[in-house]
Amino acid sequence: MKHQTSTLPFLSVFLEPPMGMHGQVLAAAKEAEVFQALQRLHMTIFSQSVSPCGKFLAAGNNYGQIAIFSLSAALSSEAKEESKKPVVTFQAHDGPVYSMVSTDRHLLSAGDGEVKAWLWAEMLKKGCKELWCRQPPYRTSLEVPEINALLLVPKENSLILAGGDCQLHTMDLETGTFTRVLRGHTDYIHCLALRERSPEVLSGGEDGAVRLWDLRTAKEVQTIEVYKHEECSRPHNGRWIGCLATDSDWMVCGGGPALTLWHLRSSTPTTVFPMRAPQKHVTFYQDLILSAGQGRCVNQWQLSGELKAQVPGSSPGLLSLSLNQQPAAPECKVLTAAGNSCRVDVFTNLGYRAFSLSF
Amino acid sequence: MYHLKPQSQVIFITFPNGMPPVLKPTTTPVGTTMSSESSKKRKPKVIRSDGAPAEGKRNRSDTEQEGKYYSEEAEVDLRDPGRDYELYKYTCQELQRLMAEIQDLKSRGGKDVAIEIEERRIQSCVHFMTLKKLNRLAHIRLKKGRDQTHEAKQKVDAYHLQLQNLLYEVMHLQKEITKCLEFKSKHEEIDLVSLEEFYKEAPPDISKAEVTMGDPHQQTLARLDWELEQRKRLAEKYRECLSNKEKILKEIEVKKEYLSSLQPRLNSIMQASLPVQEYLFMPFDQAHKQYETARHLPPPLYVLFVQATAYGQACAHMKSSSQPPRQDKTLSVAIEGSVDEAKALFKPPEDSQDDESDSDAEEEQTTKRRRPTLGVQLDDKRKEMLKRHPLSVMLDLKCKDDSVLHLTFFYLMNLNIMTVKAKVTTATELITPISAGDLLSPDSVLSCLYPGDHGKKTPNPANQYQFDKVGILTLSDYVLELGHPYLWVQKLGGLHFPKEQPQQTVIADHSLSASHMETTMKLLKTRVQSRLALHKQFASLEHGIVPVTSDCQYLFPAKVVSRLVKWVTVAHEDYMELHFTKDIVDAGLAGDTNLYYMALIERGTAKLQAAVVLNPGYSSIPPIFQLCLNWKGEKTNSNDDNIRAMESEVNVCYKELCGPWPSHQLLTNQLQRLCVLLDVYLETESHDDSVEGPKEFPQEKMCLRLFRGPSRMKPFKYNHPQGFFSHR
Repeated sequence: MKHQTSTLPFLSVFLEPPMGMHGQVLAAAKEAEVFQALQRLHMTIFSQSVSPCGKFLAAGNNYGQIAIFSLSAALSSEAKEESKKPVVTFQAHDGPVYSMVSTDRHLLSAGDGEVKAWLWAEMLKKGCKELWCRQPPYRTSLEVPEINALLLVPKENSLILAGGDCQLHTMDLETGTFTRVLRGHTDYIHCLALRERSPEVLSGGEDGAVRLWDLRTAKEVQTIEVYKHEECSRPHNGRWIGCLATDSDWMVCGGGPALTLWHLRSSTPTTVFPMRAPQKHVTFYQDLILSAGQGRCVNQWQLSGELKAQVPGSSPGLLSLSLNQQPAAPECKVLTAAGNSCRVDVFTNLGYRAFSLSF
Repeated sequence: MYHLKPQSQVIFITFPNGMPPVLKPTTTPVGTTMSSESSKKRKPKVIRSDGAPAEGKRNRSDTEQEGKYYSEEAEVDLRDPGRDYELYKYTCQELQRLMAEIQDLKSRGGKDVAIEIEERRIQSCVHFMTLKKLNRLAHIRLKKGRDQTHEAKQKVDAYHLQLQNLLYEVMHLQKEITKCLEFKSKHEEIDLVSLEEFYKEAPPDISKAEVTMGDPHQQTLARLDWELEQRKRLAEKYRECLSNKEKILKEIEVKKEYLSSLQPRLNSIMQASLPVQEYLFMPFDQAHKQYETARHLPPPLYVLFVQATAYGQACAHMKSSSQPPRQDKTLSVAIEGSVDEAKALFKPPEDSQDDESDSDAEEEQTTKRRRPTLGVQLDDKRKEMLKRHPLSVMLDLKCKDDSVLHLTFFYLMNLNIMTVKAKVTTATELITPISAGDLLSPDSVLSCLYPGDHGKKTPNPANQYQFDKVGILTLSDYVLELGHPYLWVQKLGGLHFPKEQPQQTVIADHSLSASHMETTMKLLKTRVQSRLALHKQFASLEHGIVPVTSDCQYLFPAKVVSRLVKWVTVAHEDYMELHFTKDIVDAGLAGDTNLYYMALIERGTAKLQAAVVLNPGYSSIPPIFQLCLNWKGEKTNSNDDNIRAMESEVNVCYKELCGPWPSHQLLTNQLQRLCVLLDVYLETESHDDSVEGPKEFPQEKMCLRLFRGPSRMKPFKYNHPQGFFSHR
């Protein structure tokens, strides 16, 4: 039996308030939840910096957010899951935060074309505004060049910025003016390193050259074209220099070419480290060299080229390492590593990943 | 005087008459000393004769037989105690005399006195011996006397005991006798017919007057027999009456059945007369009839029916006011199912009690009939629990392109939940692509209409307990048959099951239904439209064409070289096992309510696999892509930052790919974007200087820079009017 409705005499029931946005709100919440999950999944943490007090760690990701983690809380004995979450997260840049450094009061962060300064003391409060924002004098271009590396020169209280426009800019931190431009690279610059004893700066870039600059004369004093040396050249990976570190006499660099230890004065490669994957970060630590890059592990090398240890982290690829050696907080002396995930791995000693901080 | 034969312990005394006894001065009285000595000496003897009477006897008999041995016991019997007493007295006197004489002599003194004293002493010694002997004899006599007394006493005791036993036996017998005298037979309680009546009515073979008249015992037996006979007859009669009653009841039943079958027949006559009525232009008032039917709907279906009808009419009114009136309505509501069955279930209150008892009886019968196996019984109970109300509400929702969503709402009476079955029909016949199998299947078309509402679990928390009783694990095994109990279906029926405070009875609520009606209907329409859009898209995807509508053309460069070559559906399990989908699985974005596909995009030797998660909430929730590029080795997001960037281009930056609302083009745009991204990826791959020959993929895209940033990103962002690629 089937009865077709044609007209019904009553309609009063429908006059009751037809609210019910409930369902749509739910759907929107679900959508936001999925979007957030996807964002976290595709997050890359490009840069890290430890606060001058040594108790906090700032991390910047590809969405332009900076998160401040409390190392002391996460490392304390009564650490909970929440203490591994950021204390504060804020939108610092429009584009990715590629590089960060800390002075004794400020956190300097750089991304697409701009460098911003934040006061450490105020950052932990909600709704923090940047202290200042500077853009190096770029030659006009269709797109704003990014800043890949920041380097503090404490002796002359200046900051060196380098990146997409293939130049090194020095900025006087006292006045905030850009004082010098060092030109020479033919492609964009990946990384910077400072020779502590003589005021010289090393820079490595996409063009495959490591250039040594004298800050006093603002001239290029030495060029090492790494890819031209057979020992370390790997043409299938490209010629780019992704990471660079120096302890005045020695320099270690890697990227497309193999990770190699160089003697600077004679500009000869002394040790080629047997690591297939391109390295994105390298640093000297005591008598070891720590490096990280494609792959889950933080690699520890003897200067002789032996692989001392490989400690796996939680990210599929690492982009930055940070050693917290602030004398103010000896209990927070840790190695942190971040890269292609929303997690910052914390190594309480060099051989073991204790836990991960997470965006 | 006595001739004593030598024996072991007896002291032999010879009478050396010639020798004068020498008396030694003694301080102690002689008599006492002697008696104590003698008793001491005699003791072992007495004990000995006691301890070994047999020996003593033998000794005695030996003495008698042989006359050789001396036995004092035997001697005692021979001697007269009276004479012994005389002897004793005499001896005592003699002793006294002798003592006096010695005294005398001593006091006189003189030389020859000593000899005389000696003589006297000897004599007195002899007397002492006699005394001793007498003493022994006295002891033996005493002992004998004692033994005799004891023997006599024992005899007396035995006799006494015997007497006691006999007395007890007598008492017991007397008791038995009284018991027997007091015995009462059961027959005395039975009320028998009187004696006269008995003789008058009982047949002679029972009464046996000649035997029983005299003998009261036989008489009573006969009367009891008669009583038994009569009772048997009455019992027979009772049984007959019962069967008679049964028969009459059956007859009533048959008549009732006949009456009830009369009703459908009448109905069918009415039905048959309908065409006649129509022919005669006097149709039934349809609405009235439907309204009539609606009265038999259970409350939730009734709420749904009323609200849906009201909403449908409101829509129709709104449309007619703004647009020219259309022939077909967007929403039509109908009731399906047998009204009679519903009536049988849902009678007016005055009948309800009878109804209940009837159904109880029926239930009892059914359970009795099907007792044999427990499994069948449980199965029956499950069926009973999952029983649907015979009436259901049909909702037909028409979308713009004339496709119709048919929804059939059922009400599960015992679980107090509503379920829905869905079916989509389209105006034109659809060629169903293989990969679109699940898109419009009744099982999944409405899945997760609201987030998380997959319709596999019962929304009524009370049901779980009911399920436990009959062994139903989850409702999901029965969902295909019963329809899905989505939450929104409960809401439309006005049923609300709050999780925090379970209510005793859930009452169908009009306002709840009304508040959800519009949103739900809109969502339903959106869902059907997005599914139909996907359906169409899949058809062309399977042929390797990514359909890009003209209004989304601006998102992509004119020349896209990479081509989609494969679009297939994959099972959830297979998706989970892919090596490059781990991140999505770990992030909990790969639930089993989603649909899963695999796309293959090719350009030259490069093959890009894309595993796609399609959320049922598409397109408000975007499809998620995971990539794996096979070109110069296998590249996934874990070993190549640019593959990761490509994933985030389609997954995170999906909003710019949505196209015009309601963004049904999202999936195809994402696929097209992947083709573009693959082009960019391949063309900008840095050329290996060491390898001779031209590049496989010459750079055709305009790019400002090839790499940027620490992770050396490629320029994936397309800038529309200028047509160049830059970094995001």
